[in-house]
Amino acid sequence: MQLNKSTTPLRLGLMAASCALLGAPVARSQVAPDGEQPLLIDTGLLYYKEDQGRVQTIEPIVNLKKNYGDDHVLGVTLTFDSLTGGSPNGAIPSRKAQTFATPSGTSLQPVSGVPQTYTTPSGQVVALLAKVTLYSVNPGQLPLDPNFHDRRIAADASWSQPMGLDTHASISGHLSNELDFNSAAVNGALSRDFNGKNTTVSGGFNLELDRINPIGGAPVGGTDYIQLLKGGNKSKNLVGGLFGVTQVMSRRWVSQVNYTYDTSKGYLTDPYKIISVVDTTGASTGYRFENRPNTRTRQSVYVGNKVYLGGEVLDLSYRRGSDNWGIKSNTVDGRLRIDLGNDVYIEPHARWYRQAAADFYHLYLNQADALPTYMSADQRLAEFRATTFGLKLGIGFDGNNELSLRIEEYQQKAAQTSSSLANLQGLNLNPGLKSAIVQIGWRYEY
Amino acid sequence: MRDSSAKLAVESRDGGIVAVCFLAMASPCEVLIETGDVERCRALGMLAAKEAWRIEAKFSRYRDDSVVSSINRSCGSPVEVDDETASLIEFSAQCHKLSNGRFDITSGVLRRCWKFDGSDRLPSPAEVEALRALVGFEKIRWEPPFISVPSKMELDFGGIGKEYAVDRVLAELVAQFPAAILVNFGGDLATNRAPASGPWRVGVERPGSEREAAMLLELSQGALATSGDTHRFLLRDGVRYSHILDVRTGWPVPGAPSSVTVAGGSCVEAGILATFAMLRGADAESFLDEQGVRYWCMRS
Amino acid sequence: MSLLRLVGLTAAAVSLFGITGCSAIGVKPWQRELLAKKEMALDANPLDAAIDDHVYFSKEAASGGRGFGGGGCGCN
Repeated sequence: MQLNKSTTPLRLGLMAASCALLGAPVARSQVAPDGEQPLLIDTGLLYYKEDQGRVQTIEPIVNLKKNYGDDHVLGVTLTFDSLTGGSPNGAIPSRKAQTFATPSGTSLQPVSGVPQTYTTPSGQVVALLAKVTLYSVNPGQLPLDPNFHDRRIAADASWSQPMGLDTHASISGHLSNELDFNSAAVNGALSRDFNGKNTTVSGGFNLELDRINPIGGAPVGGTDYIQLLKGGNKSKNLVGGLFGVTQVMSRRWVSQVNYTYDTSKGYLTDPYKIISVVDTTGASTGYRFENRPNTRTRQSVYVGNKVYLGGEVLDLSYRRGSDNWGIKSNTVDGRLRIDLGNDVYIEPHARWYRQAAADFYHLYLNQADALPTYMSADQRLAEFRATTFGLKLGIGFDGNNELSLRIEEYQQKAAQTSSSLANLQGLNLNPGLKSAIVQIGWRYEY
Repeated sequence: MRDSSAKLAVESRDGGIVAVCFLAMASPCEVLIETGDVERCRALGMLAAKEAWRIEAKFSRYRDDSVVSSINRSCGSPVEVDDETASLIEFSAQCHKLSNGRFDITSGVLRRCWKFDGSDRLPSPAEVEALRALVGFEKIRWEPPFISVPSKMELDFGGIGKEYAVDRVLAELVAQFPAAILVNFGGDLATNRAPASGPWRVGVERPGSEREAAMLLELSQGALATSGDTHRFLLRDGVRYSHILDVRTGWPVPGAPSSVTVAGGSCVEAGILATFAMLRGADAESFLDEQGVRYWCMRS
Repeated sequence: MSLLRLVGLTAAAVSLFGITGCSAIGVKPWQRELLAKKEMALDANPLDAAIDDHVYFSKEAASGGRGFGGGGCGCN
């Protein structure tokens, strides 16, 4: 179209009207309402590695999505996850070397051959009835269980379709299996459009049933580690609901607010985590298995936005969470997708996260104090700040296909890392976490 | 639901072009793609055909289940229309304004007395007057997304449906496969760019002869649309009455060219300009000169 | 933050969206050309989101919020 000084008002008016007509996007589902769309294959390979010899994982994931026409969509996701490396067992570093038992075998069974002995921090020698493997940690080091390994397989399937003119329904199921954990979940959601599709209200429910079969059995929470008292297999369940509103704010901005609520009941403790008990000088006198309440109620409010900024797309979200364990959290997450032309884009990413500690979180226990009912030294329940900085590169080709590379760095810094007790001076009791995330992605339309 | 796969014909043309042909909107349709991948072409051709059939089904006044039919049956009650229909109505409203009322999508009812079958049967003035009372876009109540069409009045998107389909299909195909593509639905065509071997070569029909191309045009980008009476006209006393009716009188526009082909940025724009030109009758050429567009007018 | 305060926060945000019937906020159907872009969908990168959710679920105490995750995993 050439616009010059002599372009008549009629021609201009016509150009504008044509642009408006053809610019009006026919949503993908409208283009072939009775026809199916190509199969979308979205695959990714994640490599996650923490420093200091801690956890690393490789996780391939494949997602298949097929729109059979008229918005009837089937989705299937398969995930495989392999974890190796060391994971903190909850005990704090000590001036002296420490010895721990890995969870393995079954307890309370006599060991054939030479009985194993275990020396407690106070020097007491105990004969072990259980069949365990011992590992040692050097003075000053954060105790890591070096035999932490797991493999996980998960499968998800979902189906969504319209129900009448402005309503959509979806249902999905999930199954996963790990060496010590099995989960089955189902969720359903309903959404309805208003205001000429400018407003969408959705509601959903979520049901999850988990079976925990800790390696070596589930320890009786709060008991002395040395007793290695272990019980049978455990279970927990979760029931949750979500209520959300999506609103088109302007030509360039769409926003979403979600409120979620869920309750978990059952075995919520980490069977492999312990908490150090120290005397008044800070010297270790023993350990206890952690013990968490058997119910947990959580709520969160999430606000997400997508804003088109003249070529770039900004994704900005905020989430505020709280639960009855006393953990409050704030998350701010931002991504900016910058188009570089020729179907190439980069997307810098930054995330800030802050959480308050659980009421029953303790870095360690003082032997002099009364034993609390609930206790945990799991770093994930501590007060900390975390940041993520990353960059994604995407190269599109041949229509809707895309190759991508994402590299991110995740860091956690704990609030409480030291103690004034004599024997713990100068020790970093909670060094936090530093990890790298590398993800290769390939999206293909078949 | 048709057995879609049987209705497509795929053939190779010179210059590395593959063509997919099918029938839609009562016209021979073809999609030309510069590619070596015949299977890809077939798939894209299927997409194009389905989209053409979808638009045809949705806006055809001959089908009971079309959006247009449900609007035409509504007897004055408001009908809620979807985004796409709303866009077309809005576009038609704009065109009605820009043409000072000459372009009117409610003029379809006039076909009840005007049957352009090449014969010499003209309607009586009384018949025409009776139907003219049922014409007038200003009588429609359009409050998006609700349209209220008074009883006995009708909407007809025949004047823009094919051009709209061409633009839509081209956009959809180019988004999927950014090669040089030309979409041609019975003479209304559009392309995103020329193939490496040179501009697309398009033939425009000459009135009176079905197949012999009157002229060969070269198109590198943009669209061409033709408004003409090659197949639909009445001949009486040596006067040719084209099927383009002047809604202000109810009679065919006097002195209209037998065919006008206009080049524009989009098929929709080109088509409307061609229609506007026909509606000007004897002034078709000077109107198009004024608009500064490339055109080809044929008068028999 | 108590249950009451969180619900109040959501209600305030929701009423901002004029769900009570005021259609002042929003766009006409033919103004949706930007919103229709794939990258403007709120769930434009479901795989990235799933991977992030999994990483943060295993390393932090809070999780989810954006929607429902799949099921659980034994990593927390």
